[in-house]
Parts: sequence; C-alpha cells; structure tokens
Amino acid sequence: MRLVTIALAAALMPLWAQEIKLPANLEKLAAKAEETVDVSLDGSMLQLAGRFLSDQDDGQAKTKHLLSGLESISVKSFTFASEGQYDAADVDSVRAQVQGGQWSRIVGVTSKKDGEHADVYFKDGGNGTLGGIVVICAEPKELTIVRIAGILDPAQLADLGGQFGVPKLDMGVHIGGKKAGK
Amino acid sequence: MKHQVLALLLAATSAAYGADWEFDHLVRAIENHYGVKRTHIPLMGAANFVVKVVRPAGAGGFKLALFEDFRGGADYRDQVELDRFMENACKGGLHALVVTHSRSGGESSYILAGEIGKNTRMLIATFERDEATVVEAQVNVSALLKAIGSPDEARKTYQGER
Repeated sequence: MRLVTIALAAALMPLWAQEIKLPANLEKLAAKAEETVDVSLDGSMLQLAGRFLSDQDDGQAKTKHLLSGLESISVKSFTFASEGQYDAADVDSVRAQVQGGQWSRIVGVTSKKDGEHADVYFKDGGNGTLGGIVVICAEPKELTIVRIAGILDPAQLADLGGQFGVPKLDMGVHIGGKKAGK
Repeated sequence: MKHQVLALLLAATSAAYGADWEFDHLVRAIENHYGVKRTHIPLMGAANFVVKVVRPAGAGGFKLALFEDFRGGADYRDQVELDRFMENACKGGLHALVVTHSRSGGESSYILAGEIGKNTRMLIATFERDEATVVEAQVNVSALLKAIGSPDEARKTYQGER
C-alpha cells in the first residue's frame, strides 16, 4: 500500500512557514533521487490567486475560501531507485520540529511490513481552527514532506487534497468531531 | 494627479512588457547557453488562433518555442545546472511554482507564473535529453491552479505529447 498524505494549515504568525526547516541532508537528497517534485507557493501568490476566483462558481468559491487563510504551501517529494538512500535521522529531525507546544500528531501510521511511516501534524490555531499542518510520508523508496501555513478550518482539509501539489488524503482524520477527509 | 496616472500606466506597461520579455529572453538564453536554435513550426499562427478560440483549460493564447537539437543531460549535475540557468534566465518577472526532475526519464519541467491577475502568463519549460520546449500561455487563475496541482497533465495539455 502506498501511504499518501496531506498537510494543510496555518500560522498565526507570518513567519510560521520558516519555522519548519528541512535539514541540509534532506535538501541534498535530490542528488540521489530518481525523481523530485518541488512545489513552492508563497502567501502573496495564494492571496492574489484567491482574489481572481469567482464567488459564483461553486468549485472556485470553495478554493477561494480555502486560499483566504493560507500563507504558504510547500511540497517536496523524492523518489529513489533503491532503498536506504535517505537517513531516518534526518526525517526525525523534521518530526522533532513539530512535536510539543501547539503541535499535535493527529495521524501516525507505521507499516512494519512495508517499512512505511506516515505522520500528520496539526498546529492549534485557536478558536477551532488549524494553525499549521505538516505531513511526512516516509517510504523505503519515497519521501514526501508537505508544509502548509495559514489559518484553515478543519472541514476544509479534504478540499486541499489533490490541489496545489498536495497529495490526496487517503485516510480518515477526525478533528473536533468533523471528518476531515478520506 | 497626472503623474500618478502616468506612473500607474508605466507600471502596467512595464509589467506587461516584462512578462513578454521573459519568454523571449528565456528562448534567447537557451539558444545562447546551449548553442541551439529554435525549430520553425509551420502554421504556428493557426495553432495560436485555435487555442484562442477553443481556450483549452482556460488558455487564451500562447507562444511556443521548440528546440529539437537540444542536448541536455539527465544526471543530477545537469539538472542542478538547469536549475541555476532557469533561476538566472527568469529573474525579475517570473516565479517558479513547480519544479520537477526525473533522472530516469531524463526530463526537467518548470512551471512559472508572472504577475497573478485575471489572466496570468504561465510559462512551462521542459527539458528532455534531446529536446526542449518553452510554452507561454495566458491562463485564468483556475487553470493556473490546476496546472500546479497536475504539472504533468499541464505539460501535456500545453506542450502536447511527443
């Protein structure tokens, strides 16, 4: 099974996006990767895009509402030809940045058989909103890290999957009693 | 008041000029840097007309440059060099939204956008082992977001499957 994930979110502070750093070793993984995907959308781009979406069209209105709180979206994905190309300690150092404080690990899936780990971390944005999302999906031959900053209603989680380079969430997530996506 | 109107007009003009300039500049930069010439495409004007009329995926018109004698490399050093080249060639008016590299496929793709507006200039540059393509399309925001979400699909839509 291929574990794919999502991340959405929000930073109460504009600098939130910069808080989650990829270790230098992870940045260098592109040298070993067979395939890499790098999506980088900043706040001004997202806000401007939102301004030009129609309120009349259902799909566009939903996306517009979604974009209104987002400050940045970053997706990095590496696919390798063989196993053991990246160091688990480097992935752990990303996980360490989203543990404690306002962060909570909402989803954690480990498959010993396939060697796959998927973690979804949410930052509490207060007032029932999300303040940030980080998704780490580590498979033997694939590593994906999604970082999203911005204010987001948990009910919007499902809408983010499949958009802006964010993978579709294929696992049920319940936040505040609402089913976020599947 | 006159000055403000003039300043606004100049800003708008320079922004539009800047976006046009990026496509031409990128094409020239590829020609100079890689020592290749863009391939003449017969009936390109007609193709542009069709795109304007049909508007696939929210596109209002496009420019295409094809380099059939491009000889790029698929290894990591070549792709790092490409990243540097694209960064330098697109300084100023364009922002890289999506960058993909495939060493096995020997392909690198860049989706770039100019100033976001009702219609945005989106540029898709693809470098393969023996061919490079640059497409600039006027797209609405919805089409731009769709391209970001499915870069491979966008490349096929705007550049065609070869």
